[in-house]
Formats: sequence, C-alpha cells, structure tokens
Amino acid sequence: MEWVALLLFGVVVLALLAGFPVAFTLGGCGLLFAFVGAQFGVFDDAFLTALPSRIFGIMTNETLVAVPLFVFMGITLERARIAEDLLETLSDLFGSIRGGLGISVTVVGMLLAASTGIVGATVVTMGLLSLPTMLKRGYSPEVATGTICASGTLGQIIPPSIILVMLGDVMSSAYQQAQLSQGIFSPRTVSVGDLFAGAIIPGLLLVLLYIVYLLAVSLFKPSALPSAADVAEASRRVTLRRVGQALLPPLLLIFAVLGSILGGFATPTEAAAVGAVGALLLALQRQQLSAERLRDVMQGTVRVSSMVFLILIGASIFSLVFRGYGGDDSVRHLLESLPGGAIGAVLVVMLVMFLLGFVLDFIEITFVVVPIVGPVLLAMGLDPVWLGIMIAVNLQTSFLTPPFGFALFYLRGVAPESVTTGQIYRGVVPFVGIQILALVLLAIFPGLVTWLPHLLYGQ
Amino acid sequence: MNSATTISALLARLEQFSVALGRVVSWMTLTMVLVTFAVVVLRYLFGTGVIWLQESITWLHAVVFMLGAAYTLQQEEHVRVDIFYREMTARGRAWVNIGGLILFLWPMCIYLCVEAFDYVRVSWQIREGSREAGGLPFPFVPLLKSVILLMPLTISLQGVAIFLRSLVHLREG
Repeated sequence: MEWVALLLFGVVVLALLAGFPVAFTLGGCGLLFAFVGAQFGVFDDAFLTALPSRIFGIMTNETLVAVPLFVFMGITLERARIAEDLLETLSDLFGSIRGGLGISVTVVGMLLAASTGIVGATVVTMGLLSLPTMLKRGYSPEVATGTICASGTLGQIIPPSIILVMLGDVMSSAYQQAQLSQGIFSPRTVSVGDLFAGAIIPGLLLVLLYIVYLLAVSLFKPSALPSAADVAEASRRVTLRRVGQALLPPLLLIFAVLGSILGGFATPTEAAAVGAVGALLLALQRQQLSAERLRDVMQGTVRVSSMVFLILIGASIFSLVFRGYGGDDSVRHLLESLPGGAIGAVLVVMLVMFLLGFVLDFIEITFVVVPIVGPVLLAMGLDPVWLGIMIAVNLQTSFLTPPFGFALFYLRGVAPESVTTGQIYRGVVPFVGIQILALVLLAIFPGLVTWLPHLLYGQ
Repeated sequence: MNSATTISALLARLEQFSVALGRVVSWMTLTMVLVTFAVVVLRYLFGTGVIWLQESITWLHAVVFMLGAAYTLQQEEHVRVDIFYREMTARGRAWVNIGGLILFLWPMCIYLCVEAFDYVRVSWQIREGSREAGGLPFPFVPLLKSVILLMPLTISLQGVAIFLRSLVHLREG
C-alpha cells in the first residue's frame, strides 16, 4: 500500500494550499487517511495508539524547551528597539562610505538574526526600518530590497536561531535511527550545540559574500548605491560613546549566549534563559520595559510557541500515518535507487526541499520532511551537522527565490507602493546566486561546516 | 432576542474564554525564564541542583503551548499556507475555515480526546509519579497528562467561535 502514502503526501500539500492552519491540516489529513484505510482494512490502527505518548513525549522534550526561551529573548530585544538603535548608529558610522549603508544593513541583519531567529520577523523589521532610509539615500530599489531580504533571512542559519534548535532535535533522532538501522548499538550523537557551531562559518561566509557583492556593485554601478555625501545629507556625529551604547550590549548578550553554549558551559536551554534575563535587564536599562510591554512579550511568546509546537503535533500524526502506510520504506527505496549514491540522493532531497520551501515554512519542513529523509541520508554515511546546515542554507535560498519565496512576500507587505514587485524580484536574484554559490562551496568543502564542531567537541 | 444577537453573544463569550486562558498561560513564560535562570544560578554559583525545579521548567513549557493553542488560534497566529488564502474574499475564507474545521480540526480534536482518555485515566489510577527521584510528586504527572485532553477541548471551543464567525461572514457578504 505504499502508493497510498504518496497519495497522502500529495493530498496534504494540496489541502495545505487551501489555507487552513497547517497544524490541523497536517493532523486532520493524516487521521482521515487512517480512518478510511482502517475501514478498508489496509491500515493498522495500532500505529495510532502510540499517539498520546508521542504527544507527551513532545511536551516533555528537553531540547525543545529552549525554543520558547529564545523566542522570549528575541521578542524582548525586538520590543526594546535595539535594532533601531543599531541601524541608526551603524549607518551614521559607515554612511559616508560608498555602499556603507547597505553593508550596515547586512551587519545589522546578521546581529538581529542572531538575537531573534524568528522566521519573517527580521525581514519585516528590517523592511520597516531600513528600506525607507535606503530609498531616501538614493539606493536603487533593487539593491535595497535584495539586501534586506537576504540579510533578513540570515536569522534561519545564524545561531542561536530557533530553527537550528528544532533541526538539531530532529537530526539527533534521525542520526540515532540511521545508526541503529546499520546495526550500531552505541550510536554517536549530534546536539543542538553541534549545529550552532557548524552554522557559524557558513553564516559568516554568507555575510561576507553579501558584502563583497555590495562592494562590487558600488564599484561598477555607483549610481545604484550612492554615499551619504552624494545626497548631501549630513549624518549625525558619531561618538565612540554612542557606538558603544548601541553596539556593546546586544553584542555582549549574543556572545554570552553563544559562547556559553559553544564553550560547553551551558545547555541551549540554560543559555536561552540567561539571554532572556539579559534582554529584560537591557530593556529595563533603556527604559523600554513597561508592564504593558512585558505582557506583550509574554503573550507573543505564547503565540509563537503554540504555533511551533502544534505544528510538531500535527506533523507527528501525519508521520505516524505516513509510516503506517509504509511511506518511509518507499522513500528509502526511492532514494537508494537513485543514480550517484549519496550525492544523487542529497541532490534530489535538496531540490524537493527547495520546491517545498515555496509552500511550506521551515518549521513544517523540519518536522515533516526531515524525519522521513534524514535517517536514509545519514545511513548513507553523510555527516549530520553538514546535512543540517545544507538544509538550512538551502531553505533560506528557497525563501528568497522569486516568485514564491516567503521573504519576498513579507517585504512586499511592508514596502512602499513606489517599489514594484518586479524590482524586489530583480533585486533578490543576485543574492539567490550568492546562496547557490555558498551551497556549492559547502558541498565541495564540507570542512567549512564540520571543522568548528570537531574542534570544539572532538569526534 | 433574535438568533443573530444570540450568535454574536455566544461568539464573544467563546473568544473571551480563549483570550483569558491565553493571558493566564502567558505568565508561565516569564515564570519559565526566571525558574530556568534560578536553576542556572543554583548550579553554577552554588553547585546544587533541585530536580523538581528543573522538571517544572519542562512542565510550564508544555502547559504554555498546549493551553495557549486556543488563544493562538483566536489571534490568527497558527501559520497558514496563504498563497491563495491571502487573495480570497471574506466569503472564500469563511468557506475554507468551515471546511477545515469540519474535515480537519474537529475530527483531530475528537480523536485526540478519545485516544488520550484511557492514557490519562490510567495515569490517575496508578497515581503515576515522576520517573526521576526527587522529581515532582504524585498529582503532577497525571495533571500534565490531562492537558492532552484539555488542549483539544479548548481548541474545539475556539473552533466553534471561528465557525460562528464564518457563518456571520457568509450571511453578511
């Protein structure tokens, strides 16, 4: 009955397109298939009796407790207007250099990404903050929107992104499963910390490539990104004190959180809580923390957290039914029969994920697709950290790709009418090229991903 | 009283319930942050660990997302694939929501309740305690498991609110 599993997958994708919330569509569709299958005697209900304990397992999953804590920290920082300050200061600092504002936006995107890591939020914040400034300074709409989309999606890959936390959890069970299937009964493990460490060099590489691109444009097509001097807009004087005030606290926070995880002093959950308390103190010190705003942060955390974990529950129901119909076997046969062995399989999986990225968010893909394909790919001998980072960069690329990329929709939503959708599409194309270049580099030199985790955590 | 006002009164009552539940639960996020921070301080500064305190973090987290789900639904924050939904009229959206409730949300909730009922009942019956020595004592595990029943119940109620709102949209537009 393997074809039923593929039918299920197809029906779920179609049902999702109708627009009912993903969590319930995934779960509901799965159950409908299970009921019908049970009526015709082709589906064994026994697969579903594990459901309550599965849900209890999700509720008590200790790795994922870090998610709401990081969300809490991110929302607090966002509401404390750290981003605004950072961007203003940096653009005053670098504004007089040609391309300086673009570079500032990229750097702020990177720092924001590291501190929020919430899908979509960064693109929207950056779009609201920097797009008007860039346009006012005479930047071409293409360059401005491309830069914002690309640096806004960095949040998915630069640690401590919540996506890497989820991916780390899913990867670790996929890795266990892969090794058990090979008869290794004392399996090696992979942790969220490994993924954080693995993401650092690729993340910085992307930032570097974006900056090189911006510098190249400023060299060869200076009219696209004029310097502040060209438009005769005097920037405010930048004192060392101002730079310190804007830059130092968030930087310290990021380093403390990341450093304590990578240094092995704290679990991601502990580091996230320390980060959240740090963010609260920072907001307090800036007099940006009222009772009203605190309630806002708490309620925002509930919404994001519920959204994420309900998708996980829906996805688990879907996976149970998909497995019940032998879907994971057919996926394994399919991937193993591809020409080119592991390389062929990775290419196909990456392509499928890239296309799914047009429809599904990172969270759904992590919880639905990775558990199905992960164990098969890892059993072929791939490194779990490398695979995780490849998936993350690949999906980031997908979210940037016209005409369906999520980031483009988010930016369209907050961009002024004068910027056409065509300009956004054209602007982002070079960045999609950069992403693909980065993917190729990571594929040829896997050490870019694996070197740091090995250095920090050993084999 | 005509049926329209009855419906809108019921609708308001249901939504108030979801929002109130969300507000109560939201305090647990701050509690989580502070308790986790306290655990870190105890461990690294005083070298002690309190197991039940550690466990309570996971529990708060579970209650937050399970019981916050209805509020999240009320606030329209459960992600939708909105490529087409975004472009639909209010009528079209109302139909999507009605269809989704009948085909997906309610069946899923009912199934969860049925399937989880015994699971929870057994936990109360055997007076299940924490698996960790020094963990949270007896009523906590069954209480947490009971949340598996409360989640679908509260979501279904919010589903009724969405159903009523969709009907109102269909009638008006």
